[in-house]
Amino acid sequence: MDFFIFALKRKMMFLRKNNTTTRLVFLFLSGILLLFIAAPLLGLFFSTSLPDLFETIKDPQVQESIGLTMGVSALFTLLAGFFALPLAYIMARKEFWGKAFIQGLIDLPIVLPHSAAGIAILGFISRDSALGRLAQMLGLNLVGSPFAIGLAMAFVSVPFLINAARDGFQAVPERLEQAARSLGASPFRVFRQISLPLAKPSVITGLVLMFARGMSEFGAVVIVAYHPMTTPVLIFDRFNSYGLDYARPVAVLFIIICILVFMMLRLLGRKKKKI
Amino acid sequence: MLSCRDLEYKVGSFHLKGFSLELQKGDYCALLGPSGSGKTIILELIAGLRTLKKGSIIIDGRDCTRMPPQHRPVGILFQDYALFPHMSVYENIAWPLKIRKMKKNDIKGMVENFASDLDIQRHLDRMPESLSGGEKQRVALARTLVIHPKVLLLDEPLSALDAPLRDQSALLLKKVSLTGITILHVTHDQAEVISLANRQMRWNLSAPNLHLKS
Repeated sequence: MDFFIFALKRKMMFLRKNNTTTRLVFLFLSGILLLFIAAPLLGLFFSTSLPDLFETIKDPQVQESIGLTMGVSALFTLLAGFFALPLAYIMARKEFWGKAFIQGLIDLPIVLPHSAAGIAILGFISRDSALGRLAQMLGLNLVGSPFAIGLAMAFVSVPFLINAARDGFQAVPERLEQAARSLGASPFRVFRQISLPLAKPSVITGLVLMFARGMSEFGAVVIVAYHPMTTPVLIFDRFNSYGLDYARPVAVLFIIICILVFMMLRLLGRKKKKI
Repeated sequence: MLSCRDLEYKVGSFHLKGFSLELQKGDYCALLGPSGSGKTIILELIAGLRTLKKGSIIIDGRDCTRMPPQHRPVGILFQDYALFPHMSVYENIAWPLKIRKMKKNDIKGMVENFASDLDIQRHLDRMPESLSGGEKQRVALARTLVIHPKVLLLDEPLSALDAPLRDQSALLLKKVSLTGITILHVTHDQAEVISLANRQMRWNLSAPNLHLKS
């Protein structure tokens, strides 16, 4: 017994000396968290049969909803870029009164409940609003349109683009912009040929994040447009109407497509290095 | 050629007041002052990278006080060279010429000329990050000189270089000055400009009295 206690004490001392305890505890805690992320997804994949998955791929309603979701999210991500990049640049480069307030405003959609964001967008485009009335004069109803879906997606996801691009611009040394100005470039040319190319990896990360966040949005989208159905709304609709077994293959298919698209975008955005 | 009159500028706790300078064509003027005395800010004011509160800057008879930096006939060589890291050496030197919408063949000819004058022709395809300090400086100098500025502003051009390179670089600056360009060279080290400058000027923000030596 004494020998056993002695051996244990020595082992403890050895562990402490080598910092192994901390490493083991950290590894264990990290493992639990990774399992927490992976387990439900793996469970989802394993409980879906291949025939069910193929059946879902052929389902026109599913195909339509995936096309709509990805198309609208991509279009509104690109559209938002036109407005978000100048704003991100200003936030990175300029100091002005009320900057903290503007940053708070940019981050607001991240902390708002998404259903509340949906209600806000709905108020903005409903027939009582100026925009809604204008659309009605042109014979359009914005509520329940792909336009409304795009607005809801962009509203909740644009902070990711602005913040990533802002960090990218901040990392570009101001000296390079000054050198470019003194070499004869206008501020816009400096932005286009110096700042933007150097911030490109961060801007692409921001675009991918915005696209991803927009695509997966449910709360805000379901309020402004139940129909036409985006895939997250379709998954909810199938779960609500027919149960878990009908919703699961759609979810699995959408996850696979998301993973493929993001892997592709990451590869495209990877910096090519010249020597 | 370069005339700065009563320049006044304020940023944070830094306050520049009553700075004046007159340089003739071909002058090589050393502006001496300790670190933190605002020498770099003076260069940035002349280049138009900062906006003056008061005073005037006249270059080659033209009032440049409110002129944006891209229209001033001024070249500036920064202490850290500020080479564009996403462009090759060739692209760095060609960039200011592309902006001026010069023909591709003319650009090629000019870049090659300057590269051979500054002994960097074998580095044209390399990226700036792979160059040594001395090579970076010569690339930055070529990129500035290619636009034929009337006034060349040098921000501590020799302080970051090792001793043998420093002599080489000083020789190069001497060669550049012989082309007739007006040079304003700021430094904290008087020894490095003894053989270069035909005029010296001391500047200290805490005691802003100028001592001009010719």
